[in-house]
Amino acid sequence: MGFLAPWFLAALAGLGLPVYIHLLRRHTTTPRLVSSLMFFERGTQSSTRHRRLRYLLLFSLRALLLLLLALAFAGPFIRRPSSATSDRLLVVVIDNSFSMRAGRHLEDAKQEAMRLLATRSASQRAQVMVLGAELQVLTQPIEDARALRAAVEGIRPGDSHGSFGELGRGMRALSETVHTPIDLHLFSDMQASNMPGNFADMVMPGNVALILHPVSKENLPNWTVESVEAPAQLSDPKKAHVVAVIVGHHTPVAARLVSLVINGVVSATRTVNVPADGRTTVAFDSLDVPYGVSREEIKIDSADSFSADDAICFAVKRADPERTLFVHQGSDSRSPFYFGAALGATGQASFVLQAIDANQAADIDPAQYAFVVLSDVDSIPSILENSLKRYVESGGGVLIAAGTSTARRRKLPLLGESVDQPRYYSQAGGYATVGRVDDASPMMKDSSGWGDTKIFYASAVQPGQARVVSRLSDGTPFLLDYSVGQGHVVVFSSGIDNVTNDLPLHPAFVPFVDHVARYLSGSERLSGMRVVDTFVQLRSPVGEGVSNPSAVDVVAPDGSRPLTLQEEATMQTLRLVQAGFYQIRYPNGREVLLAVNPDRRESDLQSIPDDVLRLWSEGASGASRVNSASDAADQSKRSVYKLWWWVMLFLLIAAVMESIVASRYLGTQREEV
Amino acid sequence: MQRFLDPAVLAGISGLDLIAKTVVDGFVAGLHRSPDFGFSQEFAEYRAYTTGDDLRHVDWNLFARTDRCYLKRYRGETNGQLTILLDASNSMKFGSHAVSKMDYARYIAASLFYLAIHNQRDPAGLLVFDDEVRNYIRPSTRQGQLHRLLAGLEQAEPMARTDFTKPLTHLQEFLNRRGMVVIISDFYDSPEAIAKTIEPLRFHGSEVVLFHVLDPQEIKPQIRAPSILVDLETEQKLEVIPEYARGEYRRRMDAHLQGMRDQSRAAGLDYYLLVTDQPLDEALSQYLYLRPGGR
Repeated sequence: MGFLAPWFLAALAGLGLPVYIHLLRRHTTTPRLVSSLMFFERGTQSSTRHRRLRYLLLFSLRALLLLLLALAFAGPFIRRPSSATSDRLLVVVIDNSFSMRAGRHLEDAKQEAMRLLATRSASQRAQVMVLGAELQVLTQPIEDARALRAAVEGIRPGDSHGSFGELGRGMRALSETVHTPIDLHLFSDMQASNMPGNFADMVMPGNVALILHPVSKENLPNWTVESVEAPAQLSDPKKAHVVAVIVGHHTPVAARLVSLVINGVVSATRTVNVPADGRTTVAFDSLDVPYGVSREEIKIDSADSFSADDAICFAVKRADPERTLFVHQGSDSRSPFYFGAALGATGQASFVLQAIDANQAADIDPAQYAFVVLSDVDSIPSILENSLKRYVESGGGVLIAAGTSTARRRKLPLLGESVDQPRYYSQAGGYATVGRVDDASPMMKDSSGWGDTKIFYASAVQPGQARVVSRLSDGTPFLLDYSVGQGHVVVFSSGIDNVTNDLPLHPAFVPFVDHVARYLSGSERLSGMRVVDTFVQLRSPVGEGVSNPSAVDVVAPDGSRPLTLQEEATMQTLRLVQAGFYQIRYPNGREVLLAVNPDRRESDLQSIPDDVLRLWSEGASGASRVNSASDAADQSKRSVYKLWWWVMLFLLIAAVMESIVASRYLGTQREEV
Repeated sequence: MQRFLDPAVLAGISGLDLIAKTVVDGFVAGLHRSPDFGFSQEFAEYRAYTTGDDLRHVDWNLFARTDRCYLKRYRGETNGQLTILLDASNSMKFGSHAVSKMDYARYIAASLFYLAIHNQRDPAGLLVFDDEVRNYIRPSTRQGQLHRLLAGLEQAEPMARTDFTKPLTHLQEFLNRRGMVVIISDFYDSPEAIAKTIEPLRFHGSEVVLFHVLDPQEIKPQIRAPSILVDLETEQKLEVIPEYARGEYRRRMDAHLQGMRDQSRAAGLDYYLLVTDQPLDEALSQYLYLRPGGR
């Protein structure tokens, strides 16, 4: 026990006051002579004893009052041993990542967690969390065993990719609010792929003692479909083919039967030999899917304890080639030629180019086209421009090639962005090259050949709010992406010909056109395969004053609707948390089917080596020792329990009792007077 | 003259003889309208002679005039000698004002001696006692008896404790003549024990009168704060709280006084309570009026 302000104890000298009043002063009473004590004897003694007792009680209360007052100011405290079990917070974290579906890993983890909770003392607070791609808190720190048990029992297997880095971050956040020692029990398969890139991310804070409960001691063999390459949209099934990669983790050489399942029906099978702990490729030459959107699956026969990863699903849309409107100057015949050739050379050939002179395009309805290209037009009919604006705002896509003609107009159509100081690199006797490329953009997925292109002319477009996807070597924006309403306008600051640049002559032009076409038509965004825990954009950010009352309609793989009505009207992105097919109907009426698969890193069931696990668990407690001789002792210092509330409570009680006893005594004296 | 009968005033007078004279003269002067008063053997009635009556009491003059034989009877025929037993224990020293109980007892005794010897020519004696007989002056009517008695009163200083047994045993040895025995004390003992001890005095045919002298503070003590009380006789100390003195003590004192009255009446003793702030003439008149021969 100690005192925060011990100098206030000097006030205890005030105890002399009641001592004087009750003991010293009372002894100075002058004896009175009486003839006889005959009538005082019997009753007097007990009464006096009672009186003396009351005096002593009053004296004790007054002395206690002063004592407590001095103690309250002195701030007494006690140190509670930090190792007291009831003071430690028990945190139970159960890994429910996709790999926990292997064997009985999750069931074993839950049973072990239940056993741990059963051995907990009733007064110890505990908290249950679940670890997937992020740390999810299921209960607050509580003592209710029933609620804790229910939380553990309610944990369902997830499809996420686990991350021990998230666990470390979560514990660091928790330790900022919970200052008591934390016993963290992690029930997991300790999958090596769950480790973050930086080991420091998973190190626990000083007051967290990490206790690991591996549910799997060995590296289970597991075959899985690692990846599938298939067109998201096709028009000719015979031209489409599907390539799948079958991989075995810790597996012997084995022959696996691979099946292509279309809408639940096995369409084709292949037998492949998978080398030991290796991978092999299997190809299906045709994809005979019916018109519309189909649900496909590449599946291998189940031969291991982790059957959940034996298939990869994907969606394919079969439709006639979509038309693309290509608006150009009447004098320009190179642009539609190069663009149309590149568009036709793409694997799926899902688009058909319809080139038209800008002067004849007034009556065209852009809504009938997958996307629109404005190829270096100096002017377009105002009717078409208005139609294009509405088209873009409702979700359409437009590619503007800003060649020399656009520079003369000094303003971009649709956008109104100014174009100034055109860059004529050829006049300087040279050319520019592509300097920087934003690989994250879906339009630049295959930009390997862009470095060899020669740019002779570029319009200097003011980027404004646009995303600059590519810049030239002198910093001039080369490819810009504007978000307008629900749609996109992509500006290519040169021409689509071989005059202002030689890109159309390079092989990189075909994939560029392919990706731009898919991006602007929305098929890139609205189809294909996704990974669990990625996000899909439901709508573009709504600008101020722009109303967007239309709602999206999302149906999860299990048939549920993950969004509330309000969220359907307002949410801009959706996190894909389940594996399977998501059906999404966008505000513009377009319906898509998204195939969502778990992260294939979850299929490698290799555990973290024991020495790393030891380093991790000991590092947590070791860190606390290292971080401070101060921190460990800290811990005991931090568990100081202040007693001044109790002192004040006793002070109040003593004051009330003193008032009662003193008022009775003083009341007696008043009666005598 | 009446103001001199106030005990506080009398306390300023030195000399018991003067005090006694002042009291008695003042007292008698105030009673001129009551001629049939006193200890004297006064005529009471005639009674016809019957066989066996003492011939000395026959009124021969009446027999000579009327030839009838009558006996002459006197009221004071049972009275004769006065013996005062004065308690001189320490408790008599107590006094809450100018006159202590001992002083008051001396005044009473002196006044009675003065009445008996000076006015009535009766023999008077004094026995001063505490737990022993400290002084005894035989009843007598000799010259100078009054002075000897007053001197005995002067010398009676309170000391020791009260014990009625020895003095009364001693007195019974010398009490060979009927008379009046007056006991002046504060009677701090149980009424039963007091009555039982004093009652044998009546067997000699004496009339026994108890003068119970108490201070007003003893009847209604005023204790305003818890106090330590010291017994004058035993020197025992006791702490007393006001509410006890105001309640339980008074009940016990009242019960004691009532017990004294009841036990005295039962034993054929005359009992008078004298409070020391009470004027002496009132005390005397209370006694003399109430006496059978005083009316």
